Amino acid sequence: MTSSHFAGFERAQGRAGTRNHTLILSVTGLTTPTARRVADRLHGAIALGTPHGSGHLGHDAAIYQRCMKALASHPNVGAVVVIGADSMKIDPVVAAADAAGRFVTGLCLDDHGHDAILLADRAHRMAAGFIKELSKHKRQPIPLDQLALGLECGRSDPSSGLVANPLVGLTADAIVDAGGTAMIGETTEWLGAEMLLTNRAATPEIADAIGAAALRRERMAIDAGINLTYNNPSLTNIQAGLTTIEEKSLGAVAKSGSRPVQGLLDYGESPAGAGLWVMDAPAYAPDSLTGFTAAGCNLALFTTGVGNSYTSALMPTIKLTANTETAARLQCQLDFVAPDVFSGLENMDTAASRLLTQIVGTASGELTWGEILSDYDEVISRFGASL
Amino acid sequence: MKDRLDAHILSEADNVATVLRAVKAGETLVISNRLIQVMEDIPLCHKLALGELVAGSAIVKYGAVIGNAKRLISTGEHVHVHNVESRRGKKK
Repeated sequence: MTSSHFAGFERAQGRAGTRNHTLILSVTGLTTPTARRVADRLHGAIALGTPHGSGHLGHDAAIYQRCMKALASHPNVGAVVVIGADSMKIDPVVAAADAAGRFVTGLCLDDHGHDAILLADRAHRMAAGFIKELSKHKRQPIPLDQLALGLECGRSDPSSGLVANPLVGLTADAIVDAGGTAMIGETTEWLGAEMLLTNRAATPEIADAIGAAALRRERMAIDAGINLTYNNPSLTNIQAGLTTIEEKSLGAVAKSGSRPVQGLLDYGESPAGAGLWVMDAPAYAPDSLTGFTAAGCNLALFTTGVGNSYTSALMPTIKLTANTETAARLQCQLDFVAPDVFSGLENMDTAASRLLTQIVGTASGELTWGEILSDYDEVISRFGASL
Repeated sequence: MKDRLDAHILSEADNVATVLRAVKAGETLVISNRLIQVMEDIPLCHKLALGELVAGSAIVKYGAVIGNAKRLISTGEHVHVHNVESRRGKKK
């Protein structure tokens, strides 16, 4: 029988964490290499940054602000050193982390005589102190309603739609039933399967918003003059057996399970309540996962058909497949496999129960391959040109 | 292992099946109590036609339309990008 709790980190503000990271967060492109140098010299620190920290306009600017503040105050972050070019850039992000009760300090190039070495040394020392403090925190029993799952698929093949995604859907149902939160994104992969989401929308307005988001995404492709076939589905998907976006979407949307859709989120937007949500976002894993991270998800499930090593830096990401050959080949990439469901030797409910146990284990501290191999990042999506 | 299915159909309305192993031209598969003659080699997880599909007709998988036949497709043929067209992402 699955546990009703996981072992996690209580927070002063907001959702509990499944990890307790010290983050070196660069909010400008100028200081991102510095963030990596600082984290490299520290045990367990994570460097995140952006190659584009300035020159955002309009919607891009709003997304950037929202996501940077969200990363700095994420449920899985216990402490953050915010570094950037100037105080205008770092102050709002420092304030957000402070309001969320995290250990935080902000350092900018302007205040260090524009000397990156001096800045790095100070960041190094501050982060070391944070890591020491955080290492004293103990995991506590946390109810499953504190879990917020980001649900992703990548390099899918037909086994994804047949088994892996429906399996994720069953566990999404279980977490939502326990009072938790789950979300899917990848709007292009709603095309052809919209009714599977709109039929479950909590209100007609939400159904309309979902339909409109899918049409906007389709219009982007049409206006750009691209054929979806060989873009999404990609060459990889096509070689694996997926023929059209409709076929891929019908398999992809299965990740969302069967519970009502509570609303449509903008990129990186935090949901107003628990339950199942859908996010209007790009379909590519780096952008897509960070949308979920910024929305406050504290764990991710990421299905694959042929294999995909990429994970989120802040959401421990369970990689799973039902493809027999992939499961055998990628033992240091996949955290959960269900090839026996594909071949008919295991039933879906038994596998879903196993996956739920894995979710609780990962949330409670069992490391994923992505974490062990440092195969992770956060990438804030861009929507327009820089000034 | 002899009871293991060769192909999977997700819905009764489907007119394609997904092969659960690579199949070769000339094989006869048992799918939903029907005998289907495989017309050409089909890779693992790709689709084969359960019946004749005229040009322009709907390809149905998961009980939903996943595209249209670009040309006549015979029973047992490989169903994929060479003979199926998506209905989405098209200028109206």
